[in-house]
Amino acid sequence: MHIRTVMPVTRNSRKFLKHLAAACVMGSVALSAQAFDSPSDGVRSDSIDWGVLMDLSGTAAGQQVPWVRGIQAYMRKVNEAGGVNGRKINLLIEDDRYDASRVRINFEKLANQTPVLGMSGFGSTSAQVALMPTIRRGKVPVVGTFAITRAGVEPATPMYYNGYCGFKQMAQVGTGFFVERLKLKAPKVVTVHMDVAGGKEYADYVATEVAKYGGTSTALPIAVGAADATSQVQAIIAMKPDFVTVYGVPTPTILLMRTMHQYGLTIPTFSITQLGTPNIYSALTPEIGGNLYSMSCLTPGDITDAGPGVKEMATLADKYGYGEYKSNVNYVGGWVVGQMVTESIARIGAEPTRAKLVESMDKGFEVDTKGVSSPIKFTRDDHRGMLSLRPYSYDYATKSYKAYGQYSDFEKYIK
Amino acid sequence: MLAQILFSGIAIGSIYGLVALGFAVIFKATEVFNFAQGMLVVVGAYLAVTATTQLNLPFPLAIAFIIGVSAVLGVVIQVLLIRPLAGRPLLPVIMITIALAIVLRAVIEIIYGPQARALTTPLPTGSFLIAGVRISQLHLTAALVSWVCMAGFGAFFRYTSAGLLMRATADSHEAALVSGINVHRINAAAWAIGSVLAAVGGLFLGQLQMATVELESIGMLALPAVVIGGLQSIPGAIIGGLLVGIIEQLGSAYISPKARDILIYAPLLMVLLVRPWGLFGQRELGRV
Repeated sequence: MHIRTVMPVTRNSRKFLKHLAAACVMGSVALSAQAFDSPSDGVRSDSIDWGVLMDLSGTAAGQQVPWVRGIQAYMRKVNEAGGVNGRKINLLIEDDRYDASRVRINFEKLANQTPVLGMSGFGSTSAQVALMPTIRRGKVPVVGTFAITRAGVEPATPMYYNGYCGFKQMAQVGTGFFVERLKLKAPKVVTVHMDVAGGKEYADYVATEVAKYGGTSTALPIAVGAADATSQVQAIIAMKPDFVTVYGVPTPTILLMRTMHQYGLTIPTFSITQLGTPNIYSALTPEIGGNLYSMSCLTPGDITDAGPGVKEMATLADKYGYGEYKSNVNYVGGWVVGQMVTESIARIGAEPTRAKLVESMDKGFEVDTKGVSSPIKFTRDDHRGMLSLRPYSYDYATKSYKAYGQYSDFEKYIK
Repeated sequence: MLAQILFSGIAIGSIYGLVALGFAVIFKATEVFNFAQGMLVVVGAYLAVTATTQLNLPFPLAIAFIIGVSAVLGVVIQVLLIRPLAGRPLLPVIMITIALAIVLRAVIEIIYGPQARALTTPLPTGSFLIAGVRISQLHLTAALVSWVCMAGFGAFFRYTSAGLLMRATADSHEAALVSGINVHRINAAAWAIGSVLAAVGGLFLGQLQMATVELESIGMLALPAVVIGGLQSIPGAIIGGLLVGIIEQLGSAYISPKARDILIYAPLLMVLLVRPWGLFGQRELGRV
């Protein structure tokens, strides 16, 4: 009786103890994740602070605000699904107004005063170049920049990972595409660029690329706040280039395209990725915008046959109220960086710190965006990320983008 | 190429001249150095966006809307911000105009967002050739409208009784008061005119590029224009605007886009050092 009574109790006790032990193990794992706290690295028991430095109200806001909306949308998706290892990602977004001095102040703030685990953005190339020695010496990793600079990736540093199409690859694919399309032998090219660090680098890349085809390239700077582009267009008329390429922010680009049209020029033009946005095309008539191509490693949301990732991005853009941005490559860029950031944090487990993040990424990593971008691969020595690009143009009749082939079709131009 | 650059400089300079004229009218009437003039240009560009894109008004009505709203805005600024500071030292008044520019910028960014807006109007955008010089129709229209506005206001000041009252008030507030002139009303009218001129400049600048708050920096080129020409001189403001436009274009074409700032502001410094009343202003003489 005793035994009979005790045995079931013992069985029940064992069962109970097993459940209790399992619960304890699960609980301790969960608790250890939740209890871990590293405020100086921006990590709290239930959230992780992540910094974003971008222009929300200055000259480049037209390009950079959609990017910010993209990363916000991705983080919202992740947080709605429970966050990363039980922690929500909290974006601390600082507006630099495209002013290098503000970038510096905001960087110091997020590195030290309201610390973050890492940072993204850095849309001002001049500020990026100026800050690179500090970033390289510092402890805060930069994961997913809006624009790439030579100072950031040459040589690769474990503190910097590009998150956008590279200017060098834009120059290579754009030049190769037009040389082949127009059947040129020794192309004559004009690069109109904004007078900033990235603009000069881009002009150099184009010149190098054009020289490979035995051609010549001329760089024409344009002021950010230019009221008129007559002098640049006059120079273009004098040079008679086979094609033109543009680096800048929307307003001088629109000014240049309109002025070229006013002077009767119908020269094929390709822009950097950042300028291939619907608001630029909508500011130009079909006659003008039909001549403008962009080279991009990012897939706009209206090209839904590119992969399931694009469809998900477009659907969530509508759901979150960002529908107007879903075909904007800069929104796509922000979305992709959101995925880069969350996957990087997820890999380092329940106790994330800046040091662990840096160590983990330094081993190299890949991100599968399921068609939202060209393949993203970082190795220890190469932090450029997306190396494949393809040309895009805008179809005014359907108000959607047109992609030329697959990303892999243009890898032949990337050397 | 030189002829082409000169034409472009005259066209852009005409817009600067228009904005500078508004600046000079306000200064001449109220002695307020209006640092918000550049932002009033931006207001004009966004009013055009509202009228043409959001309200879908026919173009003549859109023009009336831009003129009407900017005039009311000028009067409101004068009544609420400038009039209470009458007789105060110069610094608080200057600070008010700087603060006004910041507030207007923020209000525009809240209403329209930080992204630039495309401005589509029926203004002609093509070009034609005259003696080898390609004339942009938009540039030509901007220049013609600016010159008509400048001529119109010139005639207004010279030939109308309201203009005469305005000039009299500008010359001496005390004398005008003693003569029974409603100085407040005259000052409000001056602010309305200044705002309207800036808004018309904004309409053209917005059409040339896009409606964006960054047009403020272009609008503020009226400042060196008006200082070079002479703060008290209406023809001086117009000629100052033209000079700035031509210098800017020549500098961009033959030296570098960045050289334009040096080429524009170096003469400004020279004028302030050597002839502070400007090229066409009159030296003020005081009896001791």
